[in-house]
Amino acid sequence: MTFAQGPRWKQLERVRNRKGAFTDDDYAPQDQAEFLDDCKILVIGAGGLGCEILKNLALSGFTNIHVIDMDTIDLSNLNRQFLFREADVGKPKAEVAARFVMKRVKGCTITPHYCAIQDKDTDFYMQFKLVICGLDSVEARRWINSTLVDMVDPNVMETLKPLVDGGTEGFKGQSRVILPTITSCYECSLDMLTPQTAVPICTLASIPRQPAHCIEWASILEWPRVFGDKKMDTDNPEHIQWLYEAALARAKEFNIMGVTYSMTQGVVKNIIPAIASTNAIIAASCCNEALKILTNMNPFLQNYMMYTGDEGVYTHTFEHQKKEGCPVCGTSAIDFEVSPDITLADFIDKLKEQPDIQIKKPTITTQRRKLYFQAPPELNELTRPNLDKKLSELADSGEEFAITDPGLPFNLRLNVIFTK
Amino acid sequence: MASTAPSGMPSSKEKKYDRQLRLWGADGQNKLEASHIALFGASAAGCEILKNLILPGIGRFTIIDDKKVEESDLGVNFFLDDDSVGKSRAERTAALLGELNPDVEGDYIEDSFSNLVATKPELFQPGWTPFTHIIVVSPFNTDDVLKLSPEIPTFLVHSIGSTAMLRISASTRCVVDTHPDTLIDLRLLNPWEELSAMVAEKTKDLGIAEKDGGMSDHEHGHVPYVLLLLKFLEDWKAAHGGNPPSTYAEKNAFKDMIRNSMRMDVPGGSEENYEEAIAAVLKNIRAAEISSHTKAVLEDPRCINPTPECETFWIIAHAVREFMNRDDQGAGLLPLSGGFPDMKAESSTYVALQNIYRSRARRDATFVHENAKAVLRKLGRDPELITLDEVSLFTKHANFVRRINYRTIAAEYNFPPDDFHKKAVTSALQSYNAEWNPSLIYDYVALRAWQEYYSKIGQLPGEDDNYLDSDIREQMRITAVDYLSSIGYQSNIDHRLDQMLQEIIRAGGSELHVIASLIGGIVAQEIVKVITSQYVPVNNTVIFDGIKSRTSVFEF
Ligand SMILES: [Zn+2]
Repeated sequence: MTFAQGPRWKQLERVRNRKGAFTDDDYAPQDQAEFLDDCKILVIGAGGLGCEILKNLALSGFTNIHVIDMDTIDLSNLNRQFLFREADVGKPKAEVAARFVMKRVKGCTITPHYCAIQDKDTDFYMQFKLVICGLDSVEARRWINSTLVDMVDPNVMETLKPLVDGGTEGFKGQSRVILPTITSCYECSLDMLTPQTAVPICTLASIPRQPAHCIEWASILEWPRVFGDKKMDTDNPEHIQWLYEAALARAKEFNIMGVTYSMTQGVVKNIIPAIASTNAIIAASCCNEALKILTNMNPFLQNYMMYTGDEGVYTHTFEHQKKEGCPVCGTSAIDFEVSPDITLADFIDKLKEQPDIQIKKPTITTQRRKLYFQAPPELNELTRPNLDKKLSELADSGEEFAITDPGLPFNLRLNVIFTK
Repeated sequence: MASTAPSGMPSSKEKKYDRQLRLWGADGQNKLEASHIALFGASAAGCEILKNLILPGIGRFTIIDDKKVEESDLGVNFFLDDDSVGKSRAERTAALLGELNPDVEGDYIEDSFSNLVATKPELFQPGWTPFTHIIVVSPFNTDDVLKLSPEIPTFLVHSIGSTAMLRISASTRCVVDTHPDTLIDLRLLNPWEELSAMVAEKTKDLGIAEKDGGMSDHEHGHVPYVLLLLKFLEDWKAAHGGNPPSTYAEKNAFKDMIRNSMRMDVPGGSEENYEEAIAAVLKNIRAAEISSHTKAVLEDPRCINPTPECETFWIIAHAVREFMNRDDQGAGLLPLSGGFPDMKAESSTYVALQNIYRSRARRDATFVHENAKAVLRKLGRDPELITLDEVSLFTKHANFVRRINYRTIAAEYNFPPDDFHKKAVTSALQSYNAEWNPSLIYDYVALRAWQEYYSKIGQLPGEDDNYLDSDIREQMRITAVDYLSSIGYQSNIDHRLDQMLQEIIRAGGSELHVIASLIGGIVAQEIVKVITSQYVPVNNTVIFDGIKSRTSVFEF
């Protein structure tokens, strides 16, 4: 493995070998040869951002790249995922992308992993110098963020893996640099996401007003009513067609206009519009930061950039602050004030409403007792009566609650403090 | 593009382009597919721009470049491979880019920009040129780009080390479908007959308890908030000499008035529709204002006096102006957009109320359409040239339309500089502050010096290791200072200028792939916006600083 060497890399080398106006005084590119030769980078996601990221890293001189993605190629990927062709539809993204870039850029090795990020253990993640994320899933991002924070041993520098994260929607996107435990982490900024306000079931069931209400009625209420336990497959055109027709009939009944096949698909698959150019901007920004972090050739982003291309071009670059009491990178349990008179069930509803926690099916314990378990069935049955009990009957003020949840990649610790 | 009915199963083309059709629709896609883009300079940035345009499906592209592929190209340009070395760069990049999308036709010309501008002027003449849009990537000579017609949309691109820049030049762009965040316009202070009638009907028992024959809790909690606001506005006006709440304090008092009428003894302790009404007060109780952008359109001479040759945009704008001026039509108001938000309500009431807004919007659009037909007749044009659909799109966006007058590149490079340019650069320099307003104005001055150095000497500053960086920097600094005095700027020059000169000399004309790719994304976004006539393109210069990861936009 040799980082960017030879006449092919003349342009990169010219910039890297000269001192710039913003490089450190003791910048010495020749001293980095060993570090860069041994510089393994992990790319998470081989989709719209991932394809761009792999190309960018290969053309930034990095010769040892791993990519992990559990998806296969779909026809609707081809308007931006430029390493794939029509003949590749159905094949694993990570494998096709890796093969393409290796063929194009000689001397670059890309190792694909066709699996979920959760399938890999800490040893796997420990081998990399840096991780770049191009994902569209909040859940996966939270998982890798918390994994990398947990891996940090403050006494061993090498355990700190910078995480560069990008995301896009339409003409907008953002990129950021996370130094786990040092800077603000993904979890610190979770409340910056626009909350997904779910439409109340009663609106869907009895007073729909929007085409989307009719579509959600078809997928959430009508499908299970008609098909029972049969699982809906949003990639199956017949299922979408059924939902579309059901939604259309309902819309007609209530004189609501605007239900289309495309909208049906958009609502049930939660489709986010995506274009090549925005992916290019954000992926390049992420790789620019990765290159600067690993080579020191210029200072890197502190620590967040938002790009908006809808109306002219606008960027907002700022330092996102670490959140005090962040459940992932904070060190202590978070204080959570609540009335002692509410029931455990009310308490769980309150937790679900918190935009900075985002849980769905929590399991709750204290040092002393099991408060509520989702599973296994025996424990669920045993703890279910607690749901109707007041908190004051179950715990003392200031007692620590440990909360686990399928949507939560870490254990949440709350100091539950009773208000007067 | 063969488009099927919007409601049916998608065609395979619609499937492939699904994620972008959700942004710019079939109309935007048709425009993309009718474009023919010329790229002068098959550099990394140039090829990255084209990649981002070929993928979404432009019609054609032509790459013009006279260089042979060198090995050093392979380290920065993804659309060249080992087999390409020694061959024509135009030919090889056209071939590898062409693989990205079988729907797009690619071509190349092995020649230089300078030579083509000099020997084949017809390629650049409006009416003759096959190209709908022209991209020129640095290095290029200033004199050559000055020969380009200001009529053809042109995109000048720099990608030098960590710095990148785009300059757009085009004839006036008129954009209707600007995709604003919201099109909702409730017109609460200007209700019309049908709306007032519905308010009277649906709120007549509002204050009466159920036991006294009033509304049930269910009915009371489902009166749409728009009707509540209109009802309480009537009450407020009756008590305040006919005036609506206007100050912040009055609006708060108005909120209290609503809150006091809410039923609290219901499950949850409050009513959602009342909460929605209270939340909508500050934003929606205000006089209908015309945006500065729409004013600029309505006061443009092309709107006031449309010509037999003008774009339909100006005819419709004229018809909107007439609509506003006529007491029997808009009576001072813009046509209604018809945009209406979701709110707590029974389905049938909601749909009826929504239809009142939609009908009003349709009525307004029909007036504008009639006005437009009359103008077309007067100008001796086909009165059916403009459809009601086209008018409706305009009236829906009436308060968000844009007219962008691009300054020519010649105006930017005029010597001595014109007043507009002097003022633009001087005010940016004066407001520059490294701490709280660190704009990229000095980056522009440095890039201008770079451009002049290359145009005069024919070498990229910093390219030749035999020259000392400090000598070149001194030379470029003199150029930069000369330029600053030519615009009349004599005040202090920030250290940023020297830093930027050092940074671009450090690059020696080299591209970093990541920066080429990033500006490639920015330029492609802008070209898509210009081609589709949707969203709002930059006017006229954007600079990206890859060190701090930020942009500045200027009009030069
Ligand atoms: Zn954190």
